[in-house]
Amino acid sequence: MIPRRYGMVIDLDLCTGCGACMIACAAENNVPPPQPRATDRTGITPMRVQPVSNGATGADRREAFIPLLCMQCQHETPCVSVCPQQAVEVDRATGIVTQMPQRCLGCRYCMAACPYHARYFNWWDPQWPPGMEKTLNPGVAVRMRGVVEKCNLCHARLHAAEDKAAAEKKAAIDPADYVPACVESCPTQAITFGDLANAGSAVAQASRSRESFRLLEKLGSEPKVYYRSERAWVRELAERPARAPEVKRG
Amino acid sequence: MLRASLASAIGLSTALAAGWIVFPRVLYQRQSQPVEFRHQTHAAKSGTAQCTACHVLREDGEFAGLPSIESCAGCHAEPMGTTKAEATLVADFVKPHREMPWLVYSRQPANVRFSHAIHVRRAGLECKECHAGRGESDALGPYRQNRISGYSVSLLTMSQCESCHRDRHVEAGCLGCHE
Amino acid sequence: MNPTRRDLLAWSGGAIAGLILTPVPWKLLGDSAKWTQNWPWIPQPARGPVEVKQTACALCAKGCGIRVRMAAGAPVGLAGAATHPVSDGALCPLAFGAHQLNWHPQRLRQVLHRGHPASWQDAVAAFRKAVAEGPVAVVDGRPGRAASAVLEAFAKQHGSYHAVATREEQSLAPYAEWSGVPTAALGYDFANVSTLVSFGAPLLDGWGTPGSFARRWSRRQVRLIQIEPELSRTAACAWRWVAIRPGSDAALAAGIARTMPLEAAAQQSGLTPDAIEELTRTIVAEGPVLAMSADAQPAVAALNLALGGSVVQRREYAAPRVPLAGSHRGILIDSTVPWEYEPQASGEVFRFAAWSGGGSHADWLLPAPGFLEELTDVPSAPASAIATYALAAPLMKPGHPVSSAVEFVGASIEEAIRARCERISRDGAGRLYRPGEREPVALAGLKLEEELMAGAVWVDNPKNTKIVRCKLKNWPSEVGRSEARRSWTANWAPPVLPPLAAKLFQESNLRERPEGSLV
Repeated sequence: MIPRRYGMVIDLDLCTGCGACMIACAAENNVPPPQPRATDRTGITPMRVQPVSNGATGADRREAFIPLLCMQCQHETPCVSVCPQQAVEVDRATGIVTQMPQRCLGCRYCMAACPYHARYFNWWDPQWPPGMEKTLNPGVAVRMRGVVEKCNLCHARLHAAEDKAAAEKKAAIDPADYVPACVESCPTQAITFGDLANAGSAVAQASRSRESFRLLEKLGSEPKVYYRSERAWVRELAERPARAPEVKRG
Repeated sequence: MLRASLASAIGLSTALAAGWIVFPRVLYQRQSQPVEFRHQTHAAKSGTAQCTACHVLREDGEFAGLPSIESCAGCHAEPMGTTKAEATLVADFVKPHREMPWLVYSRQPANVRFSHAIHVRRAGLECKECHAGRGESDALGPYRQNRISGYSVSLLTMSQCESCHRDRHVEAGCLGCHE
Repeated sequence: MNPTRRDLLAWSGGAIAGLILTPVPWKLLGDSAKWTQNWPWIPQPARGPVEVKQTACALCAKGCGIRVRMAAGAPVGLAGAATHPVSDGALCPLAFGAHQLNWHPQRLRQVLHRGHPASWQDAVAAFRKAVAEGPVAVVDGRPGRAASAVLEAFAKQHGSYHAVATREEQSLAPYAEWSGVPTAALGYDFANVSTLVSFGAPLLDGWGTPGSFARRWSRRQVRLIQIEPELSRTAACAWRWVAIRPGSDAALAAGIARTMPLEAAAQQSGLTPDAIEELTRTIVAEGPVLAMSADAQPAVAALNLALGGSVVQRREYAAPRVPLAGSHRGILIDSTVPWEYEPQASGEVFRFAAWSGGGSHADWLLPAPGFLEELTDVPSAPASAIATYALAAPLMKPGHPVSSAVEFVGASIEEAIRARCERISRDGAGRLYRPGEREPVALAGLKLEEELMAGAVWVDNPKNTKIVRCKLKNWPSEVGRSEARRSWTANWAPPVLPPLAAKLFQESNLRERPEGSLV
């Protein structure tokens, strides 16, 4: 069986910046509600939508929204190469960069190594208001403070799809059974998800289109998360040199 | 010199005895099941020797290892015999519709994903290959819990999973077995 | 022989050597490591089967179809119902955290009388007294439900009934005036539009059901021209954004319709006369066209008619929308009324709410059922083009005594729901969309109420939706009041946000922190 390479193509022309994917991701992965002291630097947002603009003001201003998540780097994955605990690996069967928080010792070397700032540290023990633990998603282990976590492409949903396929005595999972929470939640269906190694799949075809690009491609880590936009100024953002990002505050 | 050797020999044997005999006894705490369930008797009485009669693999692939109180109530709505265990079952659990707080010998911690669907349906493993003996005897056996880690003594460790996977040449990365 | 210190040292040496030859050090290390990873205060998810239930969200008037995953009697996750004819599988961002709302710290668990705990008996007694003594006004936040019919009947006997209309419905007010059809029965037909000119309506960020417009737009089946002063999310995603001066909607609409000289319209709106001409040409290039505004703007409505656009009327019972004023003996406020609503009238206020937003002037705060905790029906979404009906079954029980406004007045909605289902079945029109099935089925031979309880949705026959004929003598001279860009949480009815929603503004810079006491 050809190993799968799960990846995504996110259509930035369809992203309205609503934030549904951020909340659905947190709910699926048992991320607790923000601590009062948490900020955008210390919070846990495995999926995170970043507002960007073309820098103009007035009637010439244009804005867009970029969902950022673990890019699932395939080649010389930076976080894998630095982890002293081997707490993260690129799964051979699926291509998913799997972070095992229970093995992590919290050195945060991977957070420094990740070029996409897609990794988050549990600064505090997860806490929910009394009774709200009943709403935790079964199948996803709750982390404790002191470990790093990140997007695992909703591995609990992959497990459920595999269990279903095994129970039905099928060799491969039904793609419709494995849909990560962000993909499922998007009201404009901006995210196409699937197996990039399957050349005929929708996601593979979309990734090859002219308007598709990846962030920081020149680093050579072969991320499996693609973006596409018909707007040239949005595509050019991916090539911009590092400087203070355009933040839409207030 | 002789005295020192004698003292250290006594120390050595004390340590060996403490470590090999006393420590295992003390480390594990015995707990009893809410009711002494007899597998063999039930298999005989219900006319089926199949584990799957009560331990069901659901359609979506999830495994119902512990039968709900409804399946017990199917026969034990009223006490059928004279044992104390059955009386407790009916009075404390069936009538008030409470789930039995079974102590699960092989309960893995939350971060472990063990798929019965894959091991039973796809790999064709028999129940007794991992749960040897439990289904065939009338004595459930004591539940012994490690006082420090909180795990059951008969819990399958990661090295045991790994050795079986190695022997059968089945690869499973971290993703396959962990939540 | 007495043991000496030397003996002790020799004994210890032997013991340490012996200990290393036992499993003790290694076992202790390993077990301690496991102990450190299993702190008892870290909560664990429930074990057991996960059931999937289909129902509708009742947190605002839109009634989107939802798929709820339940484990051990509590909801553990929400997703859109993919084949739902109204919401088309889309949900607003807040829905994904809504399953945690019932345990929000501000959940109202006790009757409060002017801020002090009281009992249900006290509240019932006070209400009975109010009913006996004088007129009681009833305020309903979501008219059209079975509960609304019950409350209306109660109000007819004991006082007056007042419904709070949504913003979508209010924007249709000019058409109501020109056609005589009540706003409650009017709707926008997005399905038959190629160019949509929106004067500030946040169609991609909180207008109507998330699925109704956003999905059509995402399939690139409609050109959206967004006309508003600031670059909102909708404007950023629109096919074209036209920036105008605040408050100049009516002038620009008149300019496009040529009922105002181009120079005057240009001066007011900040565009050039050429730009307005070019905009007009662009709009009419691809019809059918629909022009709409966020609020009631008669000039924009008139422009819509001038461009050949229209609004439609669906088969709907429309209770009169009478604003509450004057003095009453008592005022009963249903839990569906938005928290910011303060009655502009005097009387003893009995307010139902599942969560307390603080700062309420109500005399009595009465705990209402929370999310997924009560049976309710879902009438047509406001401003929708076609009549629909669905039921939302309760999926869990609250942990404390609650009451709905209907139960409080001693009635129940079961009869009203049954009557409505029977009426629809007898009439026979329309189709039923079962959960997960794209193709609807006819009603004949089906037990409608049972199907709806399982998550099906009834959709009326499109032939029963008619284009509204408007009589307009002159170009409207009144200018509607456009509210400045409202907060992204404006359509959210409960006074509290789902706890995870804070990720959007506290742990990222995606959205603004909501104003007021919304937590």
